[in-house]
Parts: sequence; structure tokens; C-alpha cells
Amino acid sequence: MGLFIVRRFVAAVLVMFAISVLVFLIFFATPGVDPAARIAGRSATPQILAQVRHAFGLDRPLPIRYLLMMDHLFIKQDLSSYVNIGDRVVPQILNAAPVTLSLIFGAAVIWLLVGIAGGVVAAANRGKIIDPIITFLGIGAISVPAYWLGEVVLYFTQSKLHSSVFSWAPGSGYVPLTQNPGEWALHLLFPWLTLASLYAGIYARVLRAELVNALNEDYVRTARAKGLSERRILMRHALRCSLITVVTLFGLDVGALVGGAALLTEVVFGLPGVGLLTFNALENLDLPVIMGAVLYGAFFVVLANAVVDIAYAFLDPRVRLV
Amino acid sequence: MTDSSVTSTAKSARGPESPWRSSLRQLWRNRPAIIGFFVFLVVVAVCLCAPLYAHYVAHENPFTSNIQGTFRLHGRTIHVLQQNTQGTGLGVTPIGPTWDFSHYFLGADNQGRDVFARLLYGGRTSLLIGTSSALICCAVAAVLGVVAGYFGGPIDWVLSRIFDIIWAFPIYLLAISLSVVLLTTGIQFGPIHVGAGSLLVPILIIASIYVPYVARPLRGIVISLREREFIQSAIGSGASDTRILLKEILPNVAPSIIVFLPLMVAFNLLTESALSFLSIGVQPPAASWGTIINDGLGLLYTRPAVAIAPGIMIAITAISLNILGDGARDAFDPKAKLRGSV
Amino acid sequence: MTRSQIRVWIRTLAAACVVGSLGLTVVSSSGASPSAFTYNPAHAGGTLKLLASTAGGTLDPQVNYTLQYWQLYQATYDGLVAFDKVAGASSFNVVPDLATAMPKITNGGKTYTFTLRKGIKFSNGKTVTVNDVKASFQRLFKVSNPNAGSWYNSIVGGNACLAKPATCTLAGGVVVNAATNQVVFHLVAPDAEFLDQLAVPFGSILPASSPAKDAGSTPLPGTGAYTFSKYDPNHQLTMVRNKYFHVWSAAAQPKGYPNEIDMVFGNTVESEVTQVENGQGDWVFDPLPSDRLSQLSTKYSSQLHVNPLTAIWYMVMNTNLAPFNNLKARQALNYAINKNSAVALYGGTQLAQPACTILPPGFPGHLDYCLYQKGTGSTYKGPNLAKAKQLVQQSGTKGMSVGVVVTNDTVNQAVGQYVQSVLNSIGYKATVKPLSANIQFTYIQNTKNKVQISLSQWYQDYPAASDFLKILLSCAQFHPGSDNSINIAGYCNHSLDAKMNAAETLGLTNPTAANKAWGQIDEDMMAQGAPWVPLFNPKLIDFVSHRVGNYQFSRQFYMYVDQLWVK
Repeated sequence: MGLFIVRRFVAAVLVMFAISVLVFLIFFATPGVDPAARIAGRSATPQILAQVRHAFGLDRPLPIRYLLMMDHLFIKQDLSSYVNIGDRVVPQILNAAPVTLSLIFGAAVIWLLVGIAGGVVAAANRGKIIDPIITFLGIGAISVPAYWLGEVVLYFTQSKLHSSVFSWAPGSGYVPLTQNPGEWALHLLFPWLTLASLYAGIYARVLRAELVNALNEDYVRTARAKGLSERRILMRHALRCSLITVVTLFGLDVGALVGGAALLTEVVFGLPGVGLLTFNALENLDLPVIMGAVLYGAFFVVLANAVVDIAYAFLDPRVRLV
Repeated sequence: MTDSSVTSTAKSARGPESPWRSSLRQLWRNRPAIIGFFVFLVVVAVCLCAPLYAHYVAHENPFTSNIQGTFRLHGRTIHVLQQNTQGTGLGVTPIGPTWDFSHYFLGADNQGRDVFARLLYGGRTSLLIGTSSALICCAVAAVLGVVAGYFGGPIDWVLSRIFDIIWAFPIYLLAISLSVVLLTTGIQFGPIHVGAGSLLVPILIIASIYVPYVARPLRGIVISLREREFIQSAIGSGASDTRILLKEILPNVAPSIIVFLPLMVAFNLLTESALSFLSIGVQPPAASWGTIINDGLGLLYTRPAVAIAPGIMIAITAISLNILGDGARDAFDPKAKLRGSV
Repeated sequence: MTRSQIRVWIRTLAAACVVGSLGLTVVSSSGASPSAFTYNPAHAGGTLKLLASTAGGTLDPQVNYTLQYWQLYQATYDGLVAFDKVAGASSFNVVPDLATAMPKITNGGKTYTFTLRKGIKFSNGKTVTVNDVKASFQRLFKVSNPNAGSWYNSIVGGNACLAKPATCTLAGGVVVNAATNQVVFHLVAPDAEFLDQLAVPFGSILPASSPAKDAGSTPLPGTGAYTFSKYDPNHQLTMVRNKYFHVWSAAAQPKGYPNEIDMVFGNTVESEVTQVENGQGDWVFDPLPSDRLSQLSTKYSSQLHVNPLTAIWYMVMNTNLAPFNNLKARQALNYAINKNSAVALYGGTQLAQPACTILPPGFPGHLDYCLYQKGTGSTYKGPNLAKAKQLVQQSGTKGMSVGVVVTNDTVNQAVGQYVQSVLNSIGYKATVKPLSANIQFTYIQNTKNKVQISLSQWYQDYPAASDFLKILLSCAQFHPGSDNSINIAGYCNHSLDAKMNAAETLGLTNPTAANKAWGQIDEDMMAQGAPWVPLFNPKLIDFVSHRVGNYQFSRQFYMYVDQLWVK
């Protein structure tokens, strides 16, 4: 186990390094992206441009710039935004992180429950009418663009039906958990439902397929022959091994979401999370914030995948921790 | 004697039937799957008929702006883009659905173009992008995932790190950067020049970013499979890795791949929408379901049909492919065959 | 530019019509007191909630170049002079602010003498002294103010400061006398725009102790009726009443009504509009989405305010690159584009009117003419496609590929697609190239990117035709290979340049004649060069919530945020 942790830690460092280099190269390889002109302001004279360029270290060679940025980020810990001068990147991310985590936590609970329940029901009733109906609903939900779904939800809860059915729906924005748990949950209710509906369908589909797979296995035949009820077989025997795929997908999804993949949901509902931060940084081509957010996300991707690999060992006792 | 031996005796009288044929026959008997298949065919056929529709039925060019255009409906001449005359008189709104096949069935977009005609043209592009990127993604992911899961050790470590990098990679940054580069100069790969409108770009990008999503679950399945008795015995009896991979592992992983394929089609169609918003892939005035969704988002409060219609098309395509996939999965499942079940 | 671009790039806006004089933006200093708002204490109080989708960057008034914050600086900072804070045409008049009176201008226009008012305090409690004034102007160079090299180097010693900002003294340029409270500016040459340049937020007087670098998100103390108390660019900007403020001139810095003004960030524009509809917010800063306009103008028309702007949306063609290096090709496109269609894409005839000229209507020097159209006369009657196709044929550029570069927001993209369609119809092979707003503006200026035609907007600084014609279309403003080359068309006509210089000099003595000259230059520019296709002059819509009252509009900085009633 100790060796496993060390190996995964080295993996995290390597992945973060590779990504930071890629982000840096992509940013500066883009024509027209030179931050100096945008920071200096419209109609700045060449003299002013040169001053700004020097102040931000943009006149140094590329590898030096990269090392300077990493130095500011990890060692001096004062890496600041190009757009909001003096605003440190790391505190911005740390302030935004709880919002994203709140959003993901609630949504994940919902989509796991709904997805797993859907998959189990579909597999148990395969061939009957409920099976394709679940597929229909699930795939329909994930075929909808996230931004569109959010806007439609807002349209009904804030605009069209706001004075009647949804008068209790709060406006956009985020209320911290520590400030008022009730309001926290109320403000996050619709974002949770929106985000969950984008994932529940996948889980239901994949779990159904794995369960049907598992129900054809020999050990299930044995269990049936022994006289166990179909339900017991499903829940206690088939489900365990079928969860491997679900757990893998869950790790990938949560890993990506923590790093800011929920950005469209955050943008639509006005939640100041890591996704919105990244979105604004991309709009403004604010390299330090982009870099910080991407590295933060990369770390969680590796972490999530490590946790998933540990989970394999629990779900399938034959698997060794690798 | 068991059922299977009776059937197998009967079959061997005719000679052994190829497993593919028996699977296809089983698929043919699966009603929902066949319905799904035909729905998909209908979608493809209708989209392919787009030029015929535009020319013979609607008599319009859905790619030129038609801001000052008019047409006749129920004997009246109607402007395609209508100035608001109530209150302070702000705003210009395109007409909504006329439910008349001969023109503006689903209404007009903000350039005055026929949404339904664009939907059909867009289907051709979207289906091409969606299905080819899904196929590429699943093929690559299958190979990499299976190899990573089976061989373990350093190969698995390296491949898993590659998956991590791809998965954590900021695709929107790459898209913004690429869009500017392509707009300016395009990219040269030897003899191939990739310009801004090239469909290769979104196909390859979308295929790559979802590789980890398919490869890691497959890897997990293979890790679990590897410890099973029949694999262990195959290894023990001295079978080569290639043989084991092709004969034992792949057939057991195939049903899962079949399940992922139509799911990926749905994701890819939606990702194409996000990329075209960033100017990667389909360039205006060409249409794809993704670009029509983008157009529709700016009309959501007045003409929701423009954003809903392509979403419905994506959903229909994805659902029909998924149901077909279920049938295919059942038909090609090796475990089911072992019992001779039909 | 669109207001979302204004956030990043803006300069001040001024509309002149009544006063009409080119160089003299000064109301006669004969002692007639400038008009001001009358204060009504019954409506004081409450918290005003403004909505903007993103923050506007640095809060430092000597660096920030966005309209978003210039609108707020009116209430938080003061210069020696300011724009008259009233509604209507007088709002572009310059009136004394921290100075007791308009300056004595001597020495052929090269010396400006001000007397500083006594007893005015910053929001940190310290009294304003002449040293603060001097330090503020030195600071402009130290923080690399964007216009330090074009505006403020007219002060003696400015060029030395540009070369060595850290040791900037402006000795000989800004001379102060603590005993007499006098501030004297010595200019290198007479500058008709100097007072305007003192009146914009760049000319704010800050404490001498302010840091010699961009203050970023840390608010600097000011003398205005309000002060910034908190700024988190990801959440909110908060302004509260300045407890050290007293009214010394209601025309320059009036008392405000709300006790607190918040600008909240992070919502989409659609959500902002819904919030104002529901009364959860009071005003939307961002341009309103076009699909909400009809609903708003029907159900909420009493909460909508539409005001004209002296601004222009135009297609700018690269006159040094094929096919638009050919005059006939440029004229062809001018004939082919239907300006009414562009107006429709912007939101209709109530929101914009077709433009044929470079200078907007109601602007000093504006001449009514309309060259490239279906009919004759000075009103736009429609495109002339036949003539356009003929010109394309004659130019020999038919069949060439053209790329139209626009920003990727809804309206700009829509106009871009329309222009692409038009180009295709007259014989070119056109494509649209949408880019993110933060890239597009510098991208189209840099000749290395080989942009053939692009869509841009221009909002005025102050009522000086030179600020339009000279900045955007003179040889000196064309810098090949640089991200800052605001003469995007790359148009260089030396004889017109000479005429512009002559008109500028004439403006110092005879504004009326100078305006006539500028009008003629405008027409000559379009006739001889046609470097642009002017599209339309937009109007501004403000959408306020139901509870808000006393909407007042300044031609300079738009809606007066601190004059709104929330009680």
C-alpha cells in the first residue's frame, strides 16, 4: 500500500508537469495572444508596451518564463493574475473550490442513486417495457446540451413560472454552507438536478449492460441452481462485479468535475466555482489563472483514479493493488 | 442429453454455422433493436435528402442570409425577420414555426434562413463527425485499455499516465488556440493542409478527449478478467499473449465496447456543439446540429424551437443507436452463446 | 465597440451638439455657474444592486480603461476639472472640480494656472494638498498609464518620464505652490484637448502616498461622494458613502442617494435580465440579449431607457492587402451592403440608424452626405447591388477569397455572417472567422495576421473630430507589425493628412470654419479612399428595476449610478 501511494504521488507530479508545459506552449504559440498589449491598454505607445512587457517578464525567453511562473506558483506562492493585477491565483482557486465541491457532492449523490437504481431496474426487467423506457429517458437526458438545460430550467423557475409554481425558487448565486445550510441547499437544488441529469443516464446504461453480462455468468447460474431469489442474486452477487465500470466512470467524472468540468452549469446558475473561474480566465486569456486551475484539476484527476484503483481491490477480491 | 447437444447435433448435420451468422440472426429477432436500426436509417436517409428538400420543396438556399426576405403564407406576404412594434418597439424577431413543409417548417433563424433545411444539412455533418469520432475513439480506447489492463506493470503505468494527461487536459484552451492558428495560417502535415473548416480537426479532437472515458473502464474489466480461472488456465497451458488477447479477452470485452459506442455518439455530438462555438470544425454558414444549437441559444426566449429541434435529433439518433446496441450486445455476447440460448 | 469590449478598452464618450466647438470644451468661464442636479433628501438611502457578468479589471483609476468602472469613478474620484454632472448636452461641458475655477490659460495656450480648493479630504481622512496633485501626475507615468505617451506627454518633462518612469518628477511641467495653493501646468505646445484629458478618470487626484504601481484590486482613497470599500473580482465590488465628503460643487460632485452601491459579478446576461425583471437586481451593465428585447419593450417599457450614442459600427478593410487594396473593390462593398439589414441584426430601427459618414450625427464636424447607395441625397435609401457587381467586375478582383474577422458574440457574428453572404453574392468567396473578443481587437490591428476585412466599433473620447478622423485614418497611426495600430485600415493619404493638420490648427482660433473643414475631410475620405463601410450608429438601452427612480443620463459616462433612487 505504501509503495502504491508513492507511485501515485510520483504519477501526479509527472502528469502536472506535462500538463503545465503543454498549457504554457499552447498559450504562447497562439498568434495574437500576447498579454502585453491587452494589459497595457488600447493605444498604448511602443514605449509603454515595452515597459509592461518587462514588468511581467514577457521579454524573457520561453523556458525562463516557464520557470519564473512555476517559481511564483509553488515556491513564492504569489502568482498573480494578468487581468486582476495583484490578485493571487491560489487564494482565488481555494475560494472557488468549496462552491464546486458543494455542487458536485449533491449532484453526485443524486446521479448515483438514480443511475444505479435505473440500471438495476432495467437489468432486472430486461425485455419488458420498462427497460427501453429507462434507456429512452436516460439517453434523452444526456443528449441535451448542459448550457441549454440550465437556461431552460432558469427560464421556468425564474421567468415563466416564477410568480406561480416556483415562487420559492431563489435567485442565482451561492450561499456558503457555513452561513446558512438551508439556503445553501435551496440555491443549489436546481443546479444539482441539472448536473445530475447529465450523468444519470450514462450510469444507468452502463450498469444495466454490466449486470446483464454478470447475470450470464457461471457463478450466477450456480446461485440460481442453489435456489437463491433473483433479487438476492442481483443485489448481492451480480452487482458487486458490475460496479467496477460504474466506479471507474465515477472516478473519471468526479475527477474532471472537481477540476472545473462543470463550468457550463456554474456559468448558467451564477455559482462562483472553479469552473466559472476557468471560464473567465479563458475568455480573458489570463494565463496564470488558467495554469493554476488546470494544475489543480490535474491533481484531482490523478487522485480520483488512484482511489478508483483502490476500489477495484475491494470490489473484486482477486484484483491485486497495482 | 442436454438441449445444447441436440441443437448442435442438428446443426452439425448442415455443417457448422459461422458464429457471426447466428448472432445476426439473433439480432434480427430482437424487435426493439430492429426498430432502433430503422429509426437510425430513417434519420440518415432524411438528412441525406437535404439538398432535394432545399431545392424542390422549400426553394431556398439555407446558407445565404435572408434578412430582408419575405414569403407568402395563407395568401399573405410575411417578412422573415419582424420588427417588434409594441411598447418601445425594440427587437427584431425571426418568424416561428409555420408547420408548413413548403417553407420555414420550423421557422427562421436570426439570419432569416430556414431552420428545418439547415437541420437536415446539419445532420449530414453531425452524423459524420459523431459516428466517425465515436468509432475512432472506441477502437483506440479498446486497444489501449485492453493492453494496459492485461499487461499491467510499467506498460499500464505509462498508459494510465497518458490517460490522466488527456483527461486533465484543458480542451477549451486548446480549442481557442487552435481556432486562431487555423484561422491565421492553417496547419501543414506533410502534404495535408488543415484549414479552419476541416472536419478532421473536430473529429480527431473529440475522439482523443474521450479515449480515457472508454479505455479506463475497459482496463478495469480486463484487470478483473485477468485473474479469472479460464484466463489463468490459458496462460498456464502456454497460450501466447496475442492468442489470449484475441480469443479470450476481446470477446469478453466486446459487449462493453458495444455499449459505449452509442453513448459516445451522443457525447460527441454535444462536444461538437461546444467546439463549433469556439470556431473549431463547422464554419458558418455551414450548419451542423451543434451550430444550430448555438444559434438557438441566442433565440431561446423568443424562438425556442431553434434550439430544441437539433437537441431532439441528437436524442433520437442516440436513443436508436443505444437500443440497437443493446440488441447487438445481447446477440454477440459469447457467454450467451455458450449456453446455446437463442 | 460592443459594450463588452468597452469593458476592456473604453475611452470616455462625449457628444457635442449644442456647444459644437471643436477645441474649446470649456463653458464660458465668465462666472455663470454650471447647471447641476437639485438634491431631494426624501429619496436618500437603501442599497443599489448593479449586475455585470464579469469584473472590469484593475480598480486603479489611472490604469483602468473600461467604461464599466469609469461610470463608477464619477462618484468616487475627482480631478482638477470634471464633466458637468447633469443630463443632456451640458454633460460634456468641463467644469471646475477640485480647482476653484476654470484655469487661467496664458502663454499662447501653453500655461494653465489652477487654484486648488481648501478643505477637501480623501476618504482616508487626509486633506488634499497641491503635493497630492503633483504626485498624481507623476504617478501616471509610473504606472504606465495607456495614454501617458499620447496625451500626458504634452506636459513638459513628460517625455523624460516616459523614458524613466521610476524617477519621474515632471519638473517644469507641473509646478505647485503650497502657500498659494496654486497648480501650474506648462505644456510643450498648445493642446485643445488638455482640459478634457484632465477631466477623465485618468486625471483623478490621488493621495501622494499611493503605491507607484498598478493598485489592482486594492481600492485607492478618493475625494468623491462614495468610496470603494471592498473588491473581489470574482464576486462583488462595494461602494459606500465617503464619510469625509461634503458638497463643494454640486455640478462637479453631487451628493448621491443610495447609502451603498454594489456591483455583483458572475451571472450570465440572460440571468441578469431575469433578476432585474424579478426585482432581485437593479440594473444590467452588459448589452441586452436580442431575444429579450421584444419582451422587455412590451412588458417593461417604463423601465427601459434608450439614449443615442456618438459611436459607430463599421467594416474596416485592409487597404494594403488584396482584394481591398483596390478602390473599386472597396466601393463595391459599400454599394452592396444593406445597412438596414445590419440595423435589423443589432435590434431594429429603434436601436440603431444606418450610417453613411465617418463622424456620427450631432457631432462637431458632421456633414450630412450619403455616397454609396441606391438613390441620391443624404438619407440612406438602400444598397445598389447592380453597381456593386459592376465595380467588382471592373476591379479585376472577382473570385478572390475573403476572410471576415469578427468577435464571437451573437450580434457581431450575425453581422459577420451577413457580410459574408453579401460578399458571396457580388462575386467573392467569403468565409467568416470568429475570434474571442479578447483576441480579436489586437489581432485585426496587427498586419502580420493579414486580415482583409473585419468588423469593429468606435466610441468617441471627446467632441473632437480629430479624435475620430485623425486617430483612425491618419498615416501616423498606422504601425505595421504591431498589436497597437489603431488605423486598422492602414490607410495613408498624405494630402488628407495635411488637410487634417490644417483643420486642427484652424480649430484653435476658428472652430466653426474648422468644423466645416472636418466635414469636408470626412466626405473626401469616403469618396477618395472608402477605407470603411460605415454600418450604423447605435443607441444605448438601460434596463432598470421597478423600484428604481430618477434615471439620469450623461452623454459622457452614461447613466448616473449614484443619482438613482431606490427608496
